[in-house]
Amino acid sequence: MPTTLSPTRVEQPDVDEATAPDHPWIVIVWNDPVNLMSYVTFVLQKLFGYSLEKATELMLDVHHKGKAVVANGTREQAEMHVFRLHEHGLWASMEKDGPSE
Amino acid sequence: MIRFRAPVRRDGDRFVVGLSDDEADLVLRLLSELRELLGMEPPSPLVERLFPVVHRDDPEQEAEYQRWMRPELVQSKLTAIATIEAALLGDGVLDEGGLMAFMQGVNSVRLVLGVMLDITDDVDEDGEDEDDDPDSDSYEHQLYTYLSWLLEWSVRAVNA
Repeated sequence: MPTTLSPTRVEQPDVDEATAPDHPWIVIVWNDPVNLMSYVTFVLQKLFGYSLEKATELMLDVHHKGKAVVANGTREQAEMHVFRLHEHGLWASMEKDGPSE
Repeated sequence: MIRFRAPVRRDGDRFVVGLSDDEADLVLRLLSELRELLGMEPPSPLVERLFPVVHRDDPEQEAEYQRWMRPELVQSKLTAIATIEAALLGDGVLDEGGLMAFMQGVNSVRLVLGVMLDITDDVDEDGEDEDDDPDSDSYEHQLYTYLSWLLEWSVRAVNA
């Protein structure tokens, strides 16, 4: 699945790095009825450095489409992202992007 | 006239959690119950929502992930609980890391209450759907609503 992530500001090295082909894991946040929209937006800003606009867009994708890819990276990076999302109580999982090797 | 005071507010680069004694007692009791649930063996189904499946299509990788990371996540949640307890029993002042812990702990309790209340539908942020919820008068539902309010104010404070 191609990700729709694109940097909205130049000072987001994580996102630039994450689009490189050797970073094949994606981190997905799933919709759930308990997490507050304002809180999800805040967590995405806090953990990934997204602008309010970008974080809100991702939160609304989660809310309306059921899920959104919020980050990608190496396996280790994806695991760290998932862990931190879980610390905040978001419902996150990871999977390998595209066909497996 | 009663003057409304935000339960969580920013004070420079710090945050002040100002709860009444009753509210603080309530939050402390809920946190203590959460700690107990987190320590149960075998794990309580009430806390499973705090530990989502990470590798949805690969049971082997999932088992490996959970073997290493679940204890870490339990520890992180216990640390958040301890941070909130210290603040509520002390002067209620938190740095930004402390407020993160506060939000994580409050949200963990909300997630557990969500499981207890079997909340499966999105509720409008303004609570419009609440009348449709058969549990909306229950004690658990009132706790849930209170903690949502507390979390909302925390987000507002950190964004202020």
